[in-house]
Amino acid sequence: MQSIQKNIKNSDLLLEVNNLNVFFDTADGKIQAVKDVNLFINKGECLGIVGESGSGKTQTFFSITGLLSSNGYCNGSAIFKDFDLISASEDKKREYLGKSIGFIFQDPMTSLTPHMKIGEQLSEIATFHDNLSKSEALKRALNVLDIVKLPKSRNLINSYPHELSGGMKQRIMIAISLMCSPELIIADEPTTALDVTTQSEILNIFNDLQKGMGISIVLISHNIGVIAETSDRVMVMKGGKVVEKGSTFDVLTSPKDEYTKHLLSCIPPWLEG
Amino acid sequence: MNKQENIKAIEISKTLKGRSLWVDARRRLFLNKAAVISLFTLIIISIVSVFGPFFLQYNFSDTDWGSIYQPPSFETGHYLGTDGNGRDLLVRILHGGRLSLSIGLIATFVSVFIGVLYGTIAGFFGGKLDIFMMRIVEILYAMPYLIFVIILMVVFGRNIYFLFIAIGAVEWLTMARIVRGQTISLKEKEFIETSKALGQSNTLIIVKHIIPNLAGPIIVYITLMVPSVIILESFLSFLGLGVQEPLTSWGVLISEGSREMETAWWLLIFPGSFMVITLASLNFIGDGLRDAIDPKEY
Amino acid sequence: MIKFITKRLIIAIPTLLIIIAFGFIMMRVAPGGPFTNERALPPEIERNIQEAYNLNKPIYEQFFIYIKNLSVGDFGPSFKYKDFTVKELIISGLPVSATLGLSSIFISLILGSFLGIIAAIRKNTYFDYSIMGISLIGICVPSFVMAPILSLFFGLYLGLLPTSGWNGGNIFNLILPITALSLPQIAVISRMMRSSTIEVLNSNFIRTAKSKGLKSSYIIRKHVIRASILPIIEYLAPASAGLMTGSIIVEQIFGLPGIGRYFVVGALQRDYTLVSGVMILYASLLIILILITDILRAYLDPRVKI
Repeated sequence: MQSIQKNIKNSDLLLEVNNLNVFFDTADGKIQAVKDVNLFINKGECLGIVGESGSGKTQTFFSITGLLSSNGYCNGSAIFKDFDLISASEDKKREYLGKSIGFIFQDPMTSLTPHMKIGEQLSEIATFHDNLSKSEALKRALNVLDIVKLPKSRNLINSYPHELSGGMKQRIMIAISLMCSPELIIADEPTTALDVTTQSEILNIFNDLQKGMGISIVLISHNIGVIAETSDRVMVMKGGKVVEKGSTFDVLTSPKDEYTKHLLSCIPPWLEG
Repeated sequence: MNKQENIKAIEISKTLKGRSLWVDARRRLFLNKAAVISLFTLIIISIVSVFGPFFLQYNFSDTDWGSIYQPPSFETGHYLGTDGNGRDLLVRILHGGRLSLSIGLIATFVSVFIGVLYGTIAGFFGGKLDIFMMRIVEILYAMPYLIFVIILMVVFGRNIYFLFIAIGAVEWLTMARIVRGQTISLKEKEFIETSKALGQSNTLIIVKHIIPNLAGPIIVYITLMVPSVIILESFLSFLGLGVQEPLTSWGVLISEGSREMETAWWLLIFPGSFMVITLASLNFIGDGLRDAIDPKEY
Repeated sequence: MIKFITKRLIIAIPTLLIIIAFGFIMMRVAPGGPFTNERALPPEIERNIQEAYNLNKPIYEQFFIYIKNLSVGDFGPSFKYKDFTVKELIISGLPVSATLGLSSIFISLILGSFLGIIAAIRKNTYFDYSIMGISLIGICVPSFVMAPILSLFFGLYLGLLPTSGWNGGNIFNLILPITALSLPQIAVISRMMRSSTIEVLNSNFIRTAKSKGLKSSYIIRKHVIRASILPIIEYLAPASAGLMTGSIIVEQIFGLPGIGRYFVVGALQRDYTLVSGVMILYASLLIILILITDILRAYLDPRVKI
């Protein structure tokens, strides 16, 4: 049944993760952070991942993109357009990272290199992947700033991260991920560190990227409201396991798992509906 | 939840209860092999230095013109050989160890005392007083303080008690800085605010709440300061400005040894080894303590 | 920039004044000093001192004259070396000490940082363990133990290198002293660099750089080093102070006619004018170094305003 479903969707399939396990070696022994996770993402689709902190949602995607900390390792497969990211060599994986897959992190405050100008942090990715010259890359950077609704200004290009606000930094992070026209963007709690108004502006940008540019988005969040607003499908994780998945509408209106029900009951009533 | 699970939960909560910060730190320290071995080494060196001389047949100042520059030998009882005056090297090393270790401890105590007092006052009261006090520290920092100590030793004579004070008096600066920083961050904590709201006096708050909470960084710093004080004393003694004959310290012995190493290598190598092993142990203990008290992931 | 430097220099003035005053007071109160009555000096030195310090004038005036003389580089006559001024002695020792000090600081900075970065990148490999092991030796073996051992081993046993003398700055004469002087600093710097690089490598912005798919060598070069070298820059002034005191020992052991040697001889013979001259020189050098440190830090870290 499941395989038939997959076949139908095959033409649209962008990323397929099978039997993914993630482990960490700690002082207290080996800890399994992600247990047998299976998921897929279609082209142009937004997949929401919900779960409390420590549920393994971030580590799932860190392991796929090779960003696990040095004491972590994983097994399983993550096929991105016929290419297994997990078994690939570092060099091979690097061709996809930043180029076809963009990553946006939770904390924009510390996620930009403090001693490099914004322009360079944007342009280096294009000079590296697309062999652009410095000036071409900067030109592209200015265009990308427009997409994330930042002023197309030389001033911004020449400033350092500490001169920008949190919301601006997160837009820069999104701009970085957009520099090489990716097919997939993984956004790990992109709005958690921001205030509510900035939050909705950032979410609007994601909507534009998905609907307007056809980029697939994985949105990781502990906030079920954020997910409801943006995702087509949703996956609920707890304790490193997937407890429920399905279309956002189905999961939110008729949750089957106890934990999902519990999560939904935590939303204050005035936000429902 | 069934009965068994209940019991299990209670047991877990019991074990959790016992794990205070210090218990945890001690557990981590004893898991660190290098620190544990160093601790044993240090204890053995201290005990041997203090009590060893009582069990040896030679006295540290007895000259024996019949047996000068004797290489190490079990037959003569000069296990580590003798020096140019025929004195037994082992006894002299142990005596030197007493002096070097006690200078390390006393001078460290002096500087910790000054540093903690200075740092807590500056950090606790803040404002203009803090700026003024820290400016003084900054000015003193820019001084080549070792040269200062040398000059002090020259001017006021080579008095061993003065040596303690001189070393202690220049080593307190870093302590004061660390303590001030910690005090400022502690001052913001709720429990200090609570004490203030309860109307406790500043002195009481400093003595009862601030200083006990500084124990961690202070202990770590002490273990790292003792070796630097031992080096400083040896440095001065090496230059002929520290401990004077017939008293001896590791620095004096190394200094003599380096002058006579061409004829008698053991005069340099053995005191040097004692000192290096002690310094290494203290460093390992310091590192271990730092990791245990303030664990980071590397 | 210029404003910053001027401001810093103005702040440095009290430090320098305190050091000068210390030297000045020392000369007056120290037993056996130039201005006590218990001296029995050759008449020509007596006359030199009388002239140089205007002993007939009131004490505050003497202090001003002393400062005025210092500002033009006049440290007064040596108390023990007949026919020499302190300035002449310092100038004769400076090439030796500067060669030693500057080469040591460069070698320690470059080698120490390099080893530290490699150890951090290869964390918990045998390469890392061996570098950290060797650097532990560098920390625990003080220069006055290391220097004689080096000269015993390479000079006397192997006969490879000369164990003493300046020999006009011959490179072979310099190898052992510079090694003895640099080793402790290399050790400290490589350990600092290792831990700061590890901290930077674990930071969020390096994760971002990795997520861009950049090459590791490029990430290290562009993103890591400038952040991880900051503690080393902070350490520059203490390291130099360490080298200054280290050079006192090393010049003594290897028989090099540098400033440190004069300082020890001066201290042992109570040549107070020479000693306070060297002290003022060292303090001024340290003040300049702290200034350089501040400028470098502002250059490396855009968050620091100057």
